[in-house]
Amino acid sequence: MAPRETVICIGCPLGCRVTVLRDRKGNVAGFKGAECKQGQKYVLEELKNPVRTLTATVRTGDESCPLLPVRTSRPVPKALMKPIMRETARVKAAPPVKAGDVILKNVLKTKADLVATADWPGAGGEG
Amino acid sequence: MAEHIDVAVIGAGPAGLAAAIAARERGAEKVLIIERAEQLGGLLPQCIHNGFGLLYFEQDMTGPEYEKAFIEKARSLGVEALLETMVIDLDAERGITAVSSRHGYMKLKPGAVVLAMGCRERSRGAAGIPGTRPAGVLTAGTCQRFVNIEGYMPGSRYVIVGSGDIGMIMARRLTLEGAKVEAVVEIMPWPGGLIRNEVQCLHDFGIPLLLEHAVTFVHGEERVEGVTVSKVDAERRPVPGSERFFPCDCLLLSVGLIPENELSRKAGVELDPVTGGPVVDQNRQTSVPGIFAGGNVVQVHDLVDWVSWEAEAAGRSAAAYADKGRLKVASGVKVVPGKNIKYVVPQLISGKDDVTLHMRVERPGLKATVKVGDVLWKRYRSVRPSEMVILEVKGDALREAGVKGELVVDCEIRGGD
Repeated sequence: MAPRETVICIGCPLGCRVTVLRDRKGNVAGFKGAECKQGQKYVLEELKNPVRTLTATVRTGDESCPLLPVRTSRPVPKALMKPIMRETARVKAAPPVKAGDVILKNVLKTKADLVATADWPGAGGEG
Repeated sequence: MAEHIDVAVIGAGPAGLAAAIAARERGAEKVLIIERAEQLGGLLPQCIHNGFGLLYFEQDMTGPEYEKAFIEKARSLGVEALLETMVIDLDAERGITAVSSRHGYMKLKPGAVVLAMGCRERSRGAAGIPGTRPAGVLTAGTCQRFVNIEGYMPGSRYVIVGSGDIGMIMARRLTLEGAKVEAVVEIMPWPGGLIRNEVQCLHDFGIPLLLEHAVTFVHGEERVEGVTVSKVDAERRPVPGSERFFPCDCLLLSVGLIPENELSRKAGVELDPVTGGPVVDQNRQTSVPGIFAGGNVVQVHDLVDWVSWEAEAAGRSAAAYADKGRLKVASGVKVVPGKNIKYVVPQLISGKDDVTLHMRVERPGLKATVKVGDVLWKRYRSVRPSEMVILEVKGDALREAGVKGELVVDCEIRGGD
């Protein structure tokens, strides 16, 4: 038996539990539980290639501000979130950094860069 | 501080920044933000996750990115800021008393004041969790600061009480940093936060969400050693015999936020017992003329985008008040929460002008209809207490319906929950 393919749609507060129905050849034959077309599209993507934007921090070595927040420049495969976290633990940012600066290029060959999301030294201080 | 200040904004989080910017743009010459922390931005620097700005900037931003856009705009408009300065008193004539180690004791009398103090997390005491009082019990926001700013992991094995957004976001963050999150325990039959957080923070990592459960005991003398979790009945009382022990060295609390209104009280601002924030009219003026309020100090929002928008309204009104020494009162009609509506903000409207109503339902349901008196109704496929209902009401429609005195807002549910 094929694994149950049920996805909770996050498109709106409704949170539909959508089950994908397939024919014998494995082609998508329909949906059960989706209230809208966008939901069906999301569910197919989520089953085929679930991706997430990963946010984390990297070390700076500066005692007064030990961490720099970072994000992936584009969503990465869900399964790579933990492996990318191990990469972030290895990098150290060198000052000065502006939000948007690339900290690690093409992380784990995902075509996503790890980019800073804040200035370092920070934008919100006295000045 | 002898010079004249048109608008003083208390708090430099997303609300304070947006209010100050809007006040400057509306013509206030001298706008001053007073902030007790050493930097602008409030809590946004520690909210390193994305999901901010989807409405305001139509872009998926992280907290620091959202904050930076507002800080840069405030700086370019010449908004001034006093950092590491604590406002210790506010009176009904807009008199502010503040202290800082750099400037000492200050008294200010701005033309108008915007309250933008945001909110505070409910603590263990407020949640009433029995047991010993060991180290390792902290709020989700405090933990977020430790992990994202200070660079400490306060524990390695966690149980999280309450399924508010910060709690779920910390469940993901801690898991990604290598900790084990045993469970998120929610006393209500539904999750306390947004669906996208339930899916992407809990389901993605296989973290159990225990609905209708409560932590009924905290174990450990020096340090948390575990918690007892029990099922609760319909009256939210623990069910005897349902106890389960979860070993953990950290208990995080994500059990709601309370608007921070000590200063509002000192100024004699009338508070709404349900929202915990000031009663405001549609200009975001409080019951004290010249004192305005916007953002989480008024009502706890789901999305920062709405914090910014609400605070902008307060900032614009404050600038107008500072200019003329008064503002047309927009409080002729009282908005009253009716069936299945917990609260509506603003509590007072003019009854003549366009207005945006923010409200929360008491219980979730499918196929809901929200009715604003005889003025307007709107259908929703689903309503949930954790997702604010926001309705635009046109001034024409209010005038046509001849709304006077009170306007009752109801939410009828036809589809069950």
